[in-house]
Amino acid sequence: MTGVDLTPLVLGALAVALAGPVPALMARASRLHLTPFAAMTLWQAVALAAVLAALGAGLSLATGQTLREEPGPVGGVVAVLALTVTLVVAARLLLSGHRVGTSLRTLRREHREQVDLVAGRHDDLHVLEHDVPVAYCLPGVAHSRVVVSAATLEHLEPAQLDAVLAHERAHLAARHDLVLEAFTVLHRAFPRWVSSDAALREVQLLVEILADRAALKVGRAHDLGAALLAMAHGRVPAGSMGASGSDLVERVRVLADRRPRRAQGVALVLASWAVLVLPTALVVQPWLASLG
Amino acid sequence: MRKTDRTTRTTRTAPGSAGKAGLGELERAVMDVLWDLGPDADATVREVHGRLSEGRDVAYTTVMTVMDRLARKGVVVQQKEGRAYRYRAQATRAEMTADLMRDTLADLGSSERAPALVAFVEDASAEDLAALRKALAALES
Repeated sequence: MTGVDLTPLVLGALAVALAGPVPALMARASRLHLTPFAAMTLWQAVALAAVLAALGAGLSLATGQTLREEPGPVGGVVAVLALTVTLVVAARLLLSGHRVGTSLRTLRREHREQVDLVAGRHDDLHVLEHDVPVAYCLPGVAHSRVVVSAATLEHLEPAQLDAVLAHERAHLAARHDLVLEAFTVLHRAFPRWVSSDAALREVQLLVEILADRAALKVGRAHDLGAALLAMAHGRVPAGSMGASGSDLVERVRVLADRRPRRAQGVALVLASWAVLVLPTALVVQPWLASLG
Repeated sequence: MRKTDRTTRTTRTAPGSAGKAGLGELERAVMDVLWDLGPDADATVREVHGRLSEGRDVAYTTVMTVMDRLARKGVVVQQKEGRAYRYRAQATRAEMTADLMRDTLADLGSSERAPALVAFVEDASAEDLAALRKALAALES
């Protein structure tokens, strides 16, 4: 290759854009919630592309310096620095992945064991004798549980309860916990100087919207919305800062607007594809070829 | 002694998932027996085994293993009385449920939580509820 090699620069700029401004913009575009599946695909593609671009930028900078005709001392220092930064990024991700994975598995196992000891059984439902309404699922490969409190069974009408249970089972069937885990890993690895917080919050909301949509296959939107209100109502005293509560309002807004948006869905999936494939084809491929 | 070891081992290596699930189910059955005795009442392994044997075929050593596990988890308290150990539930079922719910609600209320549980609703404020009612009214029309 002749002239200055732009590969590290392009990949670096891409990594910065995909880690900061792009997720920040996406988090503000609430219309993405109306095509939750496509939006989820895009979030995952952007996160993956950001990590790959960051690693690629460091590696290509290092190889670019060492493979020169006459590698000077400055080039050597740059190469070592670039390689170090790459390794730090990779190590932080791996460490964070290990920590989050281990702590989640421990928390879930302990919680499951306690639920199994104290909860009553209604078919495959675990019921806790308690007067605060809750409904949640404990994800796991072979040991998943859907747990509700007695208050939930009392407060909800049968159709509402069916909708809530369908919602929780959709989380388990689609393994939404894996997506949440991946974005938690990303957020714990790079809590600052990366919009991983916005990404995590959006993905949490999208997961709920996806489960809501799945619940609509067995129940009416109004039953699900009424269940949301009833459950939230029983829980108000517990939290003083209801920042996450606006998610509830957004979920009902999305429930009300279910017109199919094929164009937006297709556009988002194409964008997901582009963000992963184009940098590989246009930047990484020539770089790898130049190494050979 | 030798016989005990062998029996324990066969219990532990019971076929596949059935063995593990069986153990969890037995833990629950043991706790039910202890809780049925009433608060602060205790029992020996033999007594618990006697109660469990009424409804199922379970080895004495299996019950002993299960109660030992429960003691190590801190769910039951083990106390030596004369030559035998006596066991009682560390808390009532209602107390344990309340503890579990307190942990769950604290977890769902915190913003920096690890997604161990996936809940139907997280915490809401009074303003959120008002907004939610409005949004729901729009859904009906």
